[in-house]
Amino acid sequence: MQLDLQAKRSKVSAPTLVHKEKFWYKISRNRTLLLMCFPAILFFFIFSYMPMPGTYIAFTKFNYNKGIFASPFIGWKNFQFLFSNGQLLLLLRNTVLYNIVFILLGNFLQVVFAILLNEVMSKWFKKTTQSMMFLPYFISDVLVSLLVYNLINYDYGFISDTVRSAGGVMPKYYSMPGAWPFIIVLVNLWKGTGYGTVIYFAAITSIDTSMLEAAKVDGANGFQRIRYILLPCLKPTVVILLLFAVGGIVKGNFGLFYNLVGNNSLLFNTTDIIETYVYRALMNNFNFSQGSAVGLFQSVVGFAIVMVANGVVKRIEPEYSLF
Amino acid sequence: MAKKLVSLLVVMAMALCLIPAMAETTATTDYSSWFPGVDTSQHVVLTFLVTGNIPTNKTDDVLKAFNEKLTAAINAEIKIEWIEWTDWQTKYNLALAMQDGTVDLVGTATDWLDAWPNTKNGAFLALSEDMLKTYCPKTYESVSQAHWNLCKYDGQIYLIPEDNYSQWTNHGFLYRGDWAKEAGLTSGVNSWEDLGTYFQYIKDNKPGVIPWDADGSGSSYSDQMFGGWISSKTGGVNIEGFSAPLFFGKSTTDPYTLSTFYTEGDDLLNFAKLMKKWADAGYWREDVLNYTGDQKAELEEGLSGAQQHHTQTWKTERYLMEQKQPGSDLGFFWFGKESNTLVSLNITHGALAIAAQSDAPERALMAYDLIRNDQTFYRLFNYGIEGQQYVIDANGYMARPASYKDDSVDGVSLDYWWGRNDALELRSALVDWTTYDKLMADYNAVKVDYPYGQIVFNIDDISSELDNLSNVFRTYAPVITFGKEADPEAYVAEFRQALKDAGIEKVMANVQAQIDAVYKK
Repeated sequence: MQLDLQAKRSKVSAPTLVHKEKFWYKISRNRTLLLMCFPAILFFFIFSYMPMPGTYIAFTKFNYNKGIFASPFIGWKNFQFLFSNGQLLLLLRNTVLYNIVFILLGNFLQVVFAILLNEVMSKWFKKTTQSMMFLPYFISDVLVSLLVYNLINYDYGFISDTVRSAGGVMPKYYSMPGAWPFIIVLVNLWKGTGYGTVIYFAAITSIDTSMLEAAKVDGANGFQRIRYILLPCLKPTVVILLLFAVGGIVKGNFGLFYNLVGNNSLLFNTTDIIETYVYRALMNNFNFSQGSAVGLFQSVVGFAIVMVANGVVKRIEPEYSLF
Repeated sequence: MAKKLVSLLVVMAMALCLIPAMAETTATTDYSSWFPGVDTSQHVVLTFLVTGNIPTNKTDDVLKAFNEKLTAAINAEIKIEWIEWTDWQTKYNLALAMQDGTVDLVGTATDWLDAWPNTKNGAFLALSEDMLKTYCPKTYESVSQAHWNLCKYDGQIYLIPEDNYSQWTNHGFLYRGDWAKEAGLTSGVNSWEDLGTYFQYIKDNKPGVIPWDADGSGSSYSDQMFGGWISSKTGGVNIEGFSAPLFFGKSTTDPYTLSTFYTEGDDLLNFAKLMKKWADAGYWREDVLNYTGDQKAELEEGLSGAQQHHTQTWKTERYLMEQKQPGSDLGFFWFGKESNTLVSLNITHGALAIAAQSDAPERALMAYDLIRNDQTFYRLFNYGIEGQQYVIDANGYMARPASYKDDSVDGVSLDYWWGRNDALELRSALVDWTTYDKLMADYNAVKVDYPYGQIVFNIDDISSELDNLSNVFRTYAPVITFGKEADPEAYVAEFRQALKDAGIEKVMANVQAQIDAVYKK
């Protein structure tokens, strides 16, 4: 009987031992790779995992002096104001639609520009273009909003003056809600395309050139090479980046929207996103708990969407899924 | 012999060294009798949370001189932590929320800074009367029991009020007296209608000048303009402590009944219609809601005809404008003038609190007591070093020395708005006191005390309604204020419906009940 038990125990423990050995073996084999990843792992651990227990604040009536965990628990009350305002649908619509356009149009343009850059032969031209496209990414939203204002404001804007001196009539953009989806998307693309292009360009340069050369020898023209070699090779990158982006689909770019639109409520119908609404409602009473509740809501929805999207990708093309 | 001589010299040298030390000791004893029996053997650095941009003038030098004196007196020095003006409300509250013991003294206010919400959130230390008597004796004596009662929450004192300082921060319009005369307004601008006449005159006769070049990108004009209209046209009295100015008492004679300005009647519509008329006439920019200019600078440059701000600003601006636009005769049209509605400033428009996590609350109170009540410390902190930042002229007014050119270079700006003291204030030679005193006489004839000082509203049951109301106000008010809607009547109706949907009726009933509980016995 005892023997039997012992045998059982050894049976149980043996695989774990092997597994353990494998784990350490894997670690030591990939130690250089892991070392390179370490800063990123540390970063996410400190800034994403360690604060996670703090989301408890969304369920409390937070008192500065008592701290997060000693503050009284009030359940779902902090979530109420977001759902009771009757505007959640409009806010969600705006936030999600903008993000869909940003993601689809953005990625499309980035791929197109990356391919175009790849086709450019002159090294000097390639480098200059890349830098110039990259530059807007570093301009703060505050400055961007000033640029936009000084271009299109009705009284003294650069474009307004030009239009008027040419005898035209300048539309009053700052009173036209319909114009802003275009303006905001344009500004966003102007800011982000250069940055994203670099990622796809890097993916293109890592494609085995012998394939392209072979295609050339076989008589494939430029378009055919793009269509049958570059694009399929970029597919995994596109899918992964899309999956990442989809997680943030209910989160808006506060800096961009707030700076461009500000308190101009004439435009809210087409420009108000969850973040700007929350800012307006909470900026004067500074309620961390409610702010966190909104953040938690967005994260949970984002998480669900990523899971679903990943599941769909896994069904269609298991290799491309994230996990 | 030589040895004796040496020892004699040593003794003499030591004695000489003692003289200044002794002199200093006597100075210190002065302050130790101010705080009898308090142990100050350990040196502490006190951090003072203050709103303002980090000064680039002589503030650091003055603070250094101040700290030398403070160290001698109570073995402490003050370090300022600035809350800069960009997004100051957010930064201020965040600094209080992040308390880690580094902040000691906090400049605060119950109207323009969130003193009560922060008290409720646990940001401030409750100050016992014993503590105040021991560490803040002069201040404790000078503030009346009635005033201390206004600084209590849940029966405990949290704030030290700036209750012995006369100032007026009631809003209105600063306008050019010379242009108003040209426009035929011989006795100045005395009503909203006069203001319209004045703006129209500028529009017609001063090419290149925008009647009021408002930077409407911020949202504060809505608060001031709505409040101004309500006090001028209905005699309403603003109730402080809410995130949007939606709650007013009916009038100075009936302050404990809530005004129904937002829910019914024509006053709101009249306001919307007039502002629409002004907008269409071009009294401000077409894209005013996204404009971020500086109305004050533009007025000074002669590019704009008005500035919407308060009495205190006018007081210093009038003199300044006379230098920059000679003959401009800057006037002030105060909101409420038409109905003689004027409410004195709440005594906690400026106040001091001690941070809940402060390591040295006793010394912080002592330092405050000295700044507030001792002439040497008061003048250093507020005016700077005599001879460098200010001199006292033959008439006893505070003037600038010849070497002093510009506030931003030579001045001191410690933004001490948390306990100024009329007994120690110097009258500036840079103010037109005749005109100012005349306005004060007008004010004194009609002013009433702030009627709601005893209430700290409990908003727990209505907080989500208040957040949504706050959003509704911030959505509709800027548009009405700058007349950007197509049809005022329809827009006001929509605004009222949105307020109703957000629960204004429930909130008003709740607020009314809280007022009744305190004042209608």
